[in-house]
Amino acid sequence: MLLPIPTSLVSYAQCRALHTSASLLGKRNFRKFLLGPKAGTLAFKNERAKEVSFRKKFPDIDIPDYGTRPTGAHRLGDSTFITVPEMIPELVVPDLTDFNLKPYVSYRCPEVVQEEFTARDLFNAVYSDKITADFERGALTEGGQPREPSAEESLTAESARQRARGVHTDIWEK
Amino acid sequence: MRLTQSLLSPVGKMTKLYSNLPESYIKRAMEKGKVGWKTPRAVQYQPKEIKKKHYRFTMNRPWTDEFARQNQVSRKKVYVKPIPKWSYFRGDMVEVLVGKDKGKQGTVSQVIEERNWVVVEGLNAHYRLVGKTAQYPGTMIASEAPLLVDDHVALLDPADNKPCTIEWRYNESGERVRVSTRSGRIIPTPTQAEETYDYKTAATYRESERDTKEDDLTIISFKPQLSTFEMDVAESMGIELGPPPSETHWY
Repeated sequence: MLLPIPTSLVSYAQCRALHTSASLLGKRNFRKFLLGPKAGTLAFKNERAKEVSFRKKFPDIDIPDYGTRPTGAHRLGDSTFITVPEMIPELVVPDLTDFNLKPYVSYRCPEVVQEEFTARDLFNAVYSDKITADFERGALTEGGQPREPSAEESLTAESARQRARGVHTDIWEK
Repeated sequence: MRLTQSLLSPVGKMTKLYSNLPESYIKRAMEKGKVGWKTPRAVQYQPKEIKKKHYRFTMNRPWTDEFARQNQVSRKKVYVKPIPKWSYFRGDMVEVLVGKDKGKQGTVSQVIEERNWVVVEGLNAHYRLVGKTAQYPGTMIASEAPLLVDDHVALLDPADNKPCTIEWRYNESGERVRVSTRSGRIIPTPTQAEETYDYKTAATYRESERDTKEDDLTIISFKPQLSTFEMDVAESMGIELGPPPSETHWY
């Protein structure tokens, strides 16, 4: 609060502001306030113990929860732990018989160069044979369209899209 | 491009070729080991890094712990003459031009491109006793000191086996070869130049059970088809394509 100073006695240059309360006004600026592994309530510790950054920093700390997925639950009001089979993760691994590709490549192998497979390449692979055969025997119209279109040639954008959307799941089939 | 390459990666090409290690690993291994310091990755910290301006390359390889230890101390920068085309390979016969082994010829056993060094087997060495105890006099081993390329060491002219200066020229097949400027004879690249940490030659690499073999690698089993990924999966699982589901709209 500024104390009133009569202007006739003192010039403004010599006037200084006075604050009667603390300059921080009760605020605390916590900078670089690093928490140790055992700071906070149990719930906070358990919550914090689940963080990856915490576990990296304190790998040897004894915290009840290590972030493992529970394979069951405690019975309500009881200390017995019931294992729920559906909670046990099921690893779906494909059948690798006759699969000879390994994680590493031998230094003896030659370099295999495969260029990008573009839409143009797909078109050439699917349609080019029929188009050249039709052209040679004159089965193309003046506009270049086939007189006897095959199944792929008679596809339209809409019908192709519908065909692609026709893939259903068989999980619910008996 | 060469300037930016040399700025981006201080490790020499010969080192990377011999080690067979990926560049990202070498870079990571050089930066760890307290050679630099980073602020902790937390909200209250500004992400700052104190990096070394230059590394001092030594006889130890850059991804080793000894290198990290040697680089913890800041030493004066070593000025290395930039050599645009490196001409010395493992297995080359060279003559030593300085030191107590002046005039002697030997084989290059190690190349340290970052300091323009070659280590010649058995020459320019000091001897030290290893494993000396009260009962045992110790084993004497020779530790070779490195020699500067171009100044302390010279390649031999195949015509007379004398030191010569070389030039890189193109031969009839279009390959770049080293040629002695005096006699014009080609200095062949030794087979040891192909050697890496994992093999002596690529053809003699011993394959392990985790290596994919050539026959399995070169199979291209991709058949271009006019179907989406889901349709391919349905076909392989034996799921028949049904009618399309009703149209969905977003409002």
